Amino acid sequence: MPETMPTSESVGVKAEQEMSLTLGHLYPDQLNMYGDRGNIITLTQRCAWRGVRLRVVPLDIGAPLDPARYDLLFIGGGQDKEQDEVARDLREVKAPAMRAAIDQDMPILAVCGGYQLLARYYRPAEGPDLEGIGVFDAWTIHKGKKVARCIGNIAISWGETTLVGFENHGGRTYLGPQATPLGKVLAGHGNNSEDHAEGCVYRNVFGTYLHGSLLPKNPHLADHLLGLALGRKYGEPGAALMRTPLDDAMEWRAHEHMLRRLGVAPRKRAFRTTVGASLTRA
Amino acid sequence: MTEKIPSPPEVKPDTAPLPAMRSARRMRIRAAAAVMAGRATGIATRRLRFGGGTSLPGLVARAIDPQLSSYLSAQLRHGAVVITGTNGKTTTSGLVGCVFREGGLRVWRNREGSNLARGIATALLMRASAAGALHERGDAAFVFEVDEAAFPRVVADLKPRSIAITNLFRDQLDRYGEVDIVAERWRDSLQTLPPGATLALNADDPAVAALADSFAGDVIYFGVEDAPDISAQAERVQTIDTRTCPRCRGTLVYSRRFYSHVGHWACPQCGFARPQPAVSARAIMLSSLDQSRFELFLPDGMSPVVVALPGLYNVYNALAAAAVGSAAHLPADTIRRGIRRFSPAFGRAERIEVNGRVCHILLAKNPTGINEVLRALTSDGARHHLLMLLNDRAADGEDVSWIWDADIEQAPPIAARIVTGGTRAYDLAIRLKYAGRAPDAVEQDIGRALAVALEDTPVGETLYIIPTYTAMLAVRGELARQGFAPHYWEQEDA
Repeated sequence: MPETMPTSESVGVKAEQEMSLTLGHLYPDQLNMYGDRGNIITLTQRCAWRGVRLRVVPLDIGAPLDPARYDLLFIGGGQDKEQDEVARDLREVKAPAMRAAIDQDMPILAVCGGYQLLARYYRPAEGPDLEGIGVFDAWTIHKGKKVARCIGNIAISWGETTLVGFENHGGRTYLGPQATPLGKVLAGHGNNSEDHAEGCVYRNVFGTYLHGSLLPKNPHLADHLLGLALGRKYGEPGAALMRTPLDDAMEWRAHEHMLRRLGVAPRKRAFRTTVGASLTRA
Repeated sequence: MTEKIPSPPEVKPDTAPLPAMRSARRMRIRAAAAVMAGRATGIATRRLRFGGGTSLPGLVARAIDPQLSSYLSAQLRHGAVVITGTNGKTTTSGLVGCVFREGGLRVWRNREGSNLARGIATALLMRASAAGALHERGDAAFVFEVDEAAFPRVVADLKPRSIAITNLFRDQLDRYGEVDIVAERWRDSLQTLPPGATLALNADDPAVAALADSFAGDVIYFGVEDAPDISAQAERVQTIDTRTCPRCRGTLVYSRRFYSHVGHWACPQCGFARPQPAVSARAIMLSSLDQSRFELFLPDGMSPVVVALPGLYNVYNALAAAAVGSAAHLPADTIRRGIRRFSPAFGRAERIEVNGRVCHILLAKNPTGINEVLRALTSDGARHHLLMLLNDRAADGEDVSWIWDADIEQAPPIAARIVTGGTRAYDLAIRLKYAGRAPDAVEQDIGRALAVALEDTPVGETLYIIPTYTAMLAVRGELARQGFAPHYWEQEDA
């Protein structure tokens, strides 16, 4: 028997207060490689289904970043040739405002190339180091074309839950003593294929190699990011709104199907934390 | 009436020194051994039903003689044509085949999906005698579709008479790395080619047009002169894989954008701009899913053309074929008739009747492919029954992120019902849900997905099947099992 899926309209929830969020999408033209648009679509729809309007503002090269105008930021992955220009702009134009926003607990999601740029540096196989903005105590080394890229489906732990995605990176990322990984690799490569760490978390900044896209199959992470943003702007009513459940049966079917394929036992589905508190986990 | 392709000028024999002459006999013996081993492998695999037997014979033969393809193709008087690019390889090869056949040639092609070096070796050795001599080498032209990544190796082997490059989009990033890496490999490969060949390039794709910089021989450009401009919606929904100038990396500007980064482009920084195409289309009519009409402009005149394929992307495929025909000095009328003669290839706009319903298969394996298929489906204003199939096997690309880059938002407004299937049926279901309409049914098993979708399609109506590559093979296999389509290795080579 085929399963009949509910439509998005039937799962909508109405907010009592009109709420809205503004997401700054950093370098959408340069960093748009691995289904990054899926993360934006997921955040937009999960807001809309709860009656929250999410406005997406592109932050291109040269554009100033006023931290007061944004509630959350997203930075994706791109091709190597575009990375230089983006790294320079990030350092010279946007870094001070980003650091201020991070200190005020703005949630930020950084995937793949964006994750690397938020760390200390990227050392290519040839040529000079690419300097990052050092939000994460981490660095990335590309060991040359002869060392295989980290490619494939991946599952990691995230608190008591799991995250699934696809990774495709040539660089290996190593965490310094100050850094906390996002999770532990359950199947796949993660940061460097050596120490089982994946991604990095600092305050409300989440760096990860997972795409695929990341958020559609990990609705608990999408809601967590949105909960942080709404909690920061509207206090507990905002955070509570993001805890109202949606019908995510299809999302979890996809998530758990990937876990089974990778031989990982499914865990809890919901991620519970005091919104606003920083995440510390091994 | 068919005209003969004028004979190409005699190729001057290589004035090789003595040691090479002495090894000629040894080369022949080795090639003959490789042909025999390859043919025996082919017979064995087919008898054992291993599959199409399209790659193993070539693999075995190449192990015995790595130079086999080069040795055999050198015997072709009309040489080889190589077609590559992200989308449209199979369709363009089919169109080139029809144009050449209309020109009086016997056309040989490598089979569907066997577009790596070994598949090409298989295609050649199947037409060779046990002594290593190619049959009918005087009247046959070989038309090879070649995988983007295998292109350098195949081109070095075959030394083709002409090469057509259709376009460059993101596809299988897990396998090829980045779009720029593919372009770089093409450039390196073209630099090593002798200038005797002709290169047919898409003028409207900046990454492809710029390849002329790396090639010393003749270039013939093809392009579209007028078509609906989608600049306004492009930034919102279209995946744009080339934004910067291939020469100076300045940001490109477009006076017209037809799809993705294909259109009338220019670089304000260095002045590099779309070259004026010698082969072009105007007055394009895309009103039907069965055919497209346009005015084909060739160096020797204009003719109205009908091609039995939907969508602007297929107009580009027809233009690529016309450019190859033009490079072979075929008259405009022969080219026009050849294009008209074409009927859709295996899994591309192919129609199969099943119990009073029509299954219409439209392969879509990357964001631009699916965008253009969905755009073609919007052309008649009707609501359709859709079966969308997503597999993540090696030949599809294991990374399914691309479905989020595709404009799946086009699907809900044109769908009466949607069923998703394939190994990643749930990923596709979520994509549709976030595009505004969850599918009516989700079945990972392609046989079951097909059964459910057919059951939902009323008699007399069409089920549009939009599969990735291996899902297309699976759905074809399923239909064949039910007696509705031939096994693909039993099909007549196009």
